[in-house]
Amino acid sequence: MFEARFPEALLLKKILEAIKDLVQDANFECTESGITLQAMDNAHVSLVTLLLRGEGFDLYRVDKPESLGINLNSMSKIMRCAANNDTVTVDKLEGADTVRFLFESPNADRMSEFHLKLMDIDSETLEIPESMYHAEIELPSAELRRIVSDLSTMGDSVRISVSKEGVRFTVRGDEGSGSVILRQSTGVDKPEEAIHIVMNEPVEQSFALKYLNLFCKAAPLSARAQIKLSKDAPLLVNFSMNNIGYLAYYLAPKIGDEDIEE
Amino acid sequence: MGIRQLAKLIVDHAPRAYKEQDIRALFGRVIAIDASMCIYQFLVAVRTADAANLTNESGEITSHLSGVFYRTIKLLELGIKPIYVFDGKAPDLKANELAKRRSRREEDEQAAAKAREEGDLELYAKYARRVNKVSAETIDNVKRLLRLMGIPVVEAPSEAEAQCAVLTRAGLAYATASEDMDALTFGTPLLIRNLFAALASGAERKDRKPSEFSLAITLEDLGISMDQFIDICILCGCDYTCTIPKIGPYRALMLVKQHGCIEEVLASLRESNHPIPDDFDYLGARGLFKEPHVKDAADIEPLLEWHAPNEEGLVQFLVQENSFNEQLVRKAVERMTKALRSGVANQSRLDNFFKPKTLPKKHEPERPSSKRSTKRARKT
Repeated sequence: MFEARFPEALLLKKILEAIKDLVQDANFECTESGITLQAMDNAHVSLVTLLLRGEGFDLYRVDKPESLGINLNSMSKIMRCAANNDTVTVDKLEGADTVRFLFESPNADRMSEFHLKLMDIDSETLEIPESMYHAEIELPSAELRRIVSDLSTMGDSVRISVSKEGVRFTVRGDEGSGSVILRQSTGVDKPEEAIHIVMNEPVEQSFALKYLNLFCKAAPLSARAQIKLSKDAPLLVNFSMNNIGYLAYYLAPKIGDEDIEE
Repeated sequence: MGIRQLAKLIVDHAPRAYKEQDIRALFGRVIAIDASMCIYQFLVAVRTADAANLTNESGEITSHLSGVFYRTIKLLELGIKPIYVFDGKAPDLKANELAKRRSRREEDEQAAAKAREEGDLELYAKYARRVNKVSAETIDNVKRLLRLMGIPVVEAPSEAEAQCAVLTRAGLAYATASEDMDALTFGTPLLIRNLFAALASGAERKDRKPSEFSLAITLEDLGISMDQFIDICILCGCDYTCTIPKIGPYRALMLVKQHGCIEEVLASLRESNHPIPDDFDYLGARGLFKEPHVKDAADIEPLLEWHAPNEEGLVQFLVQENSFNEQLVRKAVERMTKALRSGVANQSRLDNFFKPKTLPKKHEPERPSSKRSTKRARKT
């Protein structure tokens, strides 16, 4: 028996929106301490990891660890049937081949339930090394989303460089080029707009904007986003959801020459 | 062709070694492609509605050029970097097999002509598809096309699968793409089948995926050494010698596991008066598999460069000489340039940095009675 009750459907909806365009099918690993998910996109260029702690739920119960293989698109369709402020109960009986979603309105006058078939998903879990990053940036998630979408209009990949000056995002395209620089700011009046930059070593690395755009779909989950990068290592973009958990993305860098040999 | 029923043997007795993989998961990989095999496939598959090959103005077949051109571009768009490896001179031991194929082709040719005379178009199409001659000129044209496209071409001194195995073992390629299972016998660590079938239009809709065979897992799960694997392949039936009557793949596996090698297997068969053909030249075949005539990986490495396509050269060759539509060719070249430039070429893979925590779960063949709905069950 597995059972978890979310106080609001909205959170689960936002989480799904932030994952489903990157990954089609994924296993939700449900253990005593909480729910985790780790999955790569089908080109194996990026990875998404989700943690939802058990204590973040209204109710959380796992008798035996369960791995729920779910098609995220189907789940997202079901979640659309819930009102944003409905409570959502997800449960599965031991040995069952479906998982149940139960939506209840706040004043308990409406209740709906949906059953979703589970799938066997053959996927391998990657070991993510705990590493020191050369640079860490914390900024408003809306700001990150804006930079990524602005630069996407000019080209396919962005060069992120961190130096004493600040963080520079540069794009080069067929029609021209562009760049955005962010500087450290404490946000005296509005701490939520602060930009923190920690640089252990200057670093410069290119990444595909296509993926960064998909990562930014997580912006509604968290007011702040963290970017961590190192030379010749994947980029980490983390959206932390207060005491509930986090949604984090890793993206493999572009390597080698900027242009293919002519 | 290849090794008789080896694929089935692996799927049945070492299921973990076989998996179907989404073609997009090959992103960023270098693949050594057995060129003759894919040219042959294109001659079979790329046809007009009445089963005729595509031809240019002078009536020469161009199906293979069309197939190689468009599907290579598709590979590049998926971020896959192909190396085409061509056969050299066939080993002498293959003469028998080649003669057999020739006579089979002649029969099919006659059957096709007869069906056409009788007006049975369906039957004609069936036989016409089987009649495919891959001439030296056909091959040279494909090489010329690939070079114009900026794709590396490797000319093997003898069997292409053996050369692909060398490249894959040396880490210059991630896998060998061939339909011939003997690529494994030549020691390729990873073999991909159905690569091009998975690229055909509508392949995704039909859920057609490339399949991967892992040599290491095959050996581990069958509980045999590489030498024993080669012996089993020879007993199953390879291109280089005949087989022993009444010994199929499963018996071959059991016998080699029980006795250790072909010599001992033969000794025990003789004891029980099992007939063994006089021309069963397992030593010759074994020699070819273990020490095939190939070039060193180090000599090939400098050739493995992917360049921008030569657009005017391609237009000259495909449009002027082979009656392709110029607009379509230029559009395709544009797609190709874009694929190379938009950086699929230099995007790294995440699994280059993060390694799998545990071995993948044991792959069980899908059963229709499976309680949980599998991906395939859902789509139907």
